[in-house]
Amino acid sequence: MTGEKQKHEILESALDFINSSHSSSRREFFLMTGGLIIAFSASGAKAAKEGPVIIMDQAEGLVIADPTKCVGCRRCELACTEFNDGKASPTIARIKISRNLNFGVNGIPTGQRGGGAWGNGLVIQDICNQCPHPVPCANACPNDAIVVRPPTNARVVDSKRCIGCKMCRRACPWEMMSFDSGTNKATKCFLCDGSPKCVEACPSGALTYAAWRDLTGKIPPRVAPTAIVAPEKAQTCNECHKK
Amino acid sequence: MAKHGGWAGKVLRVDLSTGKISTEDTLEKYRDYLGGTGIGYKVIWDEVQAGVKSFDPANKIVYGVGPLAGTGAPCNGRTAITTLWPTCWPKALVASGHMGGQFAAELKYAGYDAIIIEGRADRPVWLSVWDEKVEIKDARQLWGQGIRRTTIEINQQMGPEASVAAIGQAGENLAPMSVVMNSYSHSAGGVGGVMGSKNLKAIGVRGTGSVRIAGNKEEWEKLIKLHLSLLGANNQHVVPSNPQPWAEHYNAGSRWMASAGRRWGAANPSIDTGACEPHNLNRIAYRTNNAAYFLGDKAWQHTVRGNGCTACPIRCHTMLKVPAVSAKYGIPELGQNTCVGLLFGRAFFKSFPDGPKGQTAIEACMVGMYLADDLGVWDNYGQLQRDFQALYYNGIFKRKVAEKEFNSYSWNKYEQGDPTFLFELLPRIANKEGELATALGLGTGHLLERWGIPEQEWLENHDLLYWKLGHPKHHSNEDAGQCGVIINTQYNRDAQCHSHSNFTRNGLPIEVQKRLAAELWGSPDAVDAVAAFTPMNAHKAKMAKWSLLRKELHDCLSLCNWMGPWVASPLKEREYRGDDSIESLLYSLATGDKKSRQELDTIAERIFLLHRALTIRDMGAKDMRTKHDTIPDWVFTDPKDKAAFSKGTIRMDKEDIKLAMDMFYEEMAWDKETGSPTKATYRRLGLGTVADELAKRGLLP
Amino acid sequence: MERQEEVRANILNIIRDRSESGRLISAEEILTELKRRGLLTSEEIKPKTHLETALKQALQENRDVKEILAPNGVCYYYSVRRLSETYAGILVLKSENPLWLIAEVVRENSKRYPRPVPVAGFMESPFDLTLEAILECLRVMGEDKEYQDIAQTITSVGKTFLYSSRHLDPDYASMLAEWLDVGQADNP
Repeated sequence: MTGEKQKHEILESALDFINSSHSSSRREFFLMTGGLIIAFSASGAKAAKEGPVIIMDQAEGLVIADPTKCVGCRRCELACTEFNDGKASPTIARIKISRNLNFGVNGIPTGQRGGGAWGNGLVIQDICNQCPHPVPCANACPNDAIVVRPPTNARVVDSKRCIGCKMCRRACPWEMMSFDSGTNKATKCFLCDGSPKCVEACPSGALTYAAWRDLTGKIPPRVAPTAIVAPEKAQTCNECHKK
Repeated sequence: MAKHGGWAGKVLRVDLSTGKISTEDTLEKYRDYLGGTGIGYKVIWDEVQAGVKSFDPANKIVYGVGPLAGTGAPCNGRTAITTLWPTCWPKALVASGHMGGQFAAELKYAGYDAIIIEGRADRPVWLSVWDEKVEIKDARQLWGQGIRRTTIEINQQMGPEASVAAIGQAGENLAPMSVVMNSYSHSAGGVGGVMGSKNLKAIGVRGTGSVRIAGNKEEWEKLIKLHLSLLGANNQHVVPSNPQPWAEHYNAGSRWMASAGRRWGAANPSIDTGACEPHNLNRIAYRTNNAAYFLGDKAWQHTVRGNGCTACPIRCHTMLKVPAVSAKYGIPELGQNTCVGLLFGRAFFKSFPDGPKGQTAIEACMVGMYLADDLGVWDNYGQLQRDFQALYYNGIFKRKVAEKEFNSYSWNKYEQGDPTFLFELLPRIANKEGELATALGLGTGHLLERWGIPEQEWLENHDLLYWKLGHPKHHSNEDAGQCGVIINTQYNRDAQCHSHSNFTRNGLPIEVQKRLAAELWGSPDAVDAVAAFTPMNAHKAKMAKWSLLRKELHDCLSLCNWMGPWVASPLKEREYRGDDSIESLLYSLATGDKKSRQELDTIAERIFLLHRALTIRDMGAKDMRTKHDTIPDWVFTDPKDKAAFSKGTIRMDKEDIKLAMDMFYEEMAWDKETGSPTKATYRRLGLGTVADELAKRGLLP
Repeated sequence: MERQEEVRANILNIIRDRSESGRLISAEEILTELKRRGLLTSEEIKPKTHLETALKQALQENRDVKEILAPNGVCYYYSVRRLSETYAGILVLKSENPLWLIAEVVRENSKRYPRPVPVAGFMESPFDLTLEAILECLRVMGEDKEYQDIAQTITSVGKTFLYSSRHLDPDYASMLAEWLDVGQADNP
């Protein structure tokens, strides 16, 4: 166990990650570390031997959504889980409609101030941003189970390594980590390796699979993350970012 | 996780008298009845004795869904609610109401295929179903509130994802003409009062589980895509309403309204519905705009988007934004519904200052939806409004209601088509205020009896579209000649069968319809062009049987009979064929219980037969032909007195309809003389014990 | 030889592209486009003959490509993958006089489905006629022997439908118009 002081530092550095301007921190990182990137970007278990997995690679693709076209049918959620997991399960869907469907993203406001079917009609589709470094869900994972997977470089859960501790859920400001109680594993959007089922399933063409761009600063967070970063990872952060 | 795919595996039973909550194994107990109305009829047959009345604590109410609810099978959002029907006159008989929305899927994710409610709570309660945690909660502070307030308050407790099926004041006050409603605009008629009689204000459901697909997931994906490719617009209209480059056919009466230049005008920015070429599965949701279909072209500018049930790409509920109503009537500028729900307010009025499809008519619709869907008033497929017009304009209200009460209504506003009149009328119906409103809330049969009006007057009136037992026709001779007539004789409320009308209205040329009919029902003569009907033949009886069984099958599997069956499609390369086995393919892959089309139809026949047996038992009569399967006189008349089978009339011929019923009974292997199923038929369909019970009561032919 | 194949491929391409945009294309337009693409240019001996042969072959080899003869004698080409025969028929009639267009569409609907056609439909795409033009057509039709079969019926909510008395008698037509305009929506 780490001491109280160390814990505090870890939390601080985790919050730093989330609050920092991603583009500048990335640029600094490139300038500072050069060759190290290769070692860190190798996904999965191999890199773990060398040290903790820190995702540096940018994702190649992203699902983007147009709320004005969303008709609230949830076919995307169902395609996501039926065609990938063999079960209809909005709870584990990696695109999230249900929670915004009735009252919008802010829960249950009254009258017409809210969104969703009970408000202005607008349904916001919640989608994984495939975050740039630092990737909150991956950094929070104590088991390095969230890795980059080619060809899309989506951040995916390596279910062999996932132990179901749910730390990743507490790390994502957009609440995009799902937990499958059937398998006792976390799960998240893996872009269906380049042809997302949700995009194909949308009957109103409200979803598009597009080249990745950084939406993390554009989409308001749903919650303040509370996860902590494992000490070895926090150490890596310090090494790279320290002048 | 359930052993089988599809089903959740458990049925929830709640006794409100004792507070006892228990579960049953769905497949152990109800496997032969699939789900939905199947479970409903079975429970009523086994557990509710003949002679029980709708609002007795001994009546039960069953909210049933099927193995496809909650899956990605298109159009699976419907919950079937079965009970003894309060508006069925002169005596309550079994019937079912159906609501769409998110309730069916949420119930499955919570782990249940049905909820059986029995008894009566000693004070207002609501039922909270949160996965395996089921609680009966105090609803005293919700009592007296409308559906919207009730829903919001329950959602505050259960979270925004919960689906809440609630009754309004109409149900609380035991007005038979009342609904239960979920997901803002999805109602099931007739059952609000039954919930009210049990002191049950609402059921809130939150499910975090899943529905397993038993079959291979790649196969399932392929099947879903096949099914999607066969979809038309709402009511399975497979051609667009105007000529479009990709389309070989078009039909001005089609609900496939999308076209270049027709825009969702209240979307921000607006969206052109454009060409929706059938192979483009990413544009299915733009095809239908029921507001524009029912309210006219003006509705386009008010359209925000389509809305609808879980997993349905059709979006038959149109969301409208009419800013003017906010200042003018003090109601929200957004409203949504479909078909008779959209038309609820407008249909009371004979005319409007700016015509039937003008702005005032749209405003009347907005006011109607705002009031009726909050108070929970049912309109019995438009019979409420047709009755209202007749009762007013024939001077019956004036004769039957005390002068003071009569004068308390602003009839000048009513005659002028002023939507504010609805604020006077609808709350009084829900609250049973005064004789006029109370009588209207009873439903047609009980109203006529209360006011001493012979039912015969209604049976003869072509404009009223009244059929029998207090209910109107629903897709009868106007849609499918004798086939429609047969279907309308079978149920204890309006028939609600669309299997036949979805086919005859699909928009294809008559020669294509006849070619498909030959493949489906053995002869092109099974269908006629509308209003060019020909005499009865055996193939029409086959089509009628098929239509009824598919309706029942859909109500058990949780498929929408307002969309299915899918035997015609928009696909030219398939020569506009659909697939008659889509239900069995979906069922087999989802559940892992492989059943052919014929096998599944046989189960549907068993379920339909149980409905028949229940009707016979509760009527205490076996002579169904003359006592139940009756046909109103207006069917045999024509406004221009054109002869039956001449072109331009839907008039039927009495002798020919006798033959039609003969042929139908024969097709069903029922006794021709009484219209009652024979012992052999019950046995063949696995209902031997049902036959024995009826035999004991002398109710076998 | 290679050159011929290239021409054929381009012809197909040109026809299908045009159909994609919901329009027909004439041989002359195809030739212009080919030339613009540097094909069948002046050094070819008889570009028109060459085009005719190539078109004939394209039609034989590709079942989606169709030819339609307009009343003015011009042949138009399209691909049924993107543009239906019905729609092509309307476009060809549209290129002629609107009297023909309205009459033929009304006759076809009365015969085939059978059903009358709402007058207002002719104001929409792809007909795009003005109300004035339609009313003028109907007036002229009333006086022309050719069009004596084109008749009108008005529904209970005041919408005018057209039908051909060759295929529908008046009572039948008025019943069907009422069904399309009022009946179906009142019996949802």
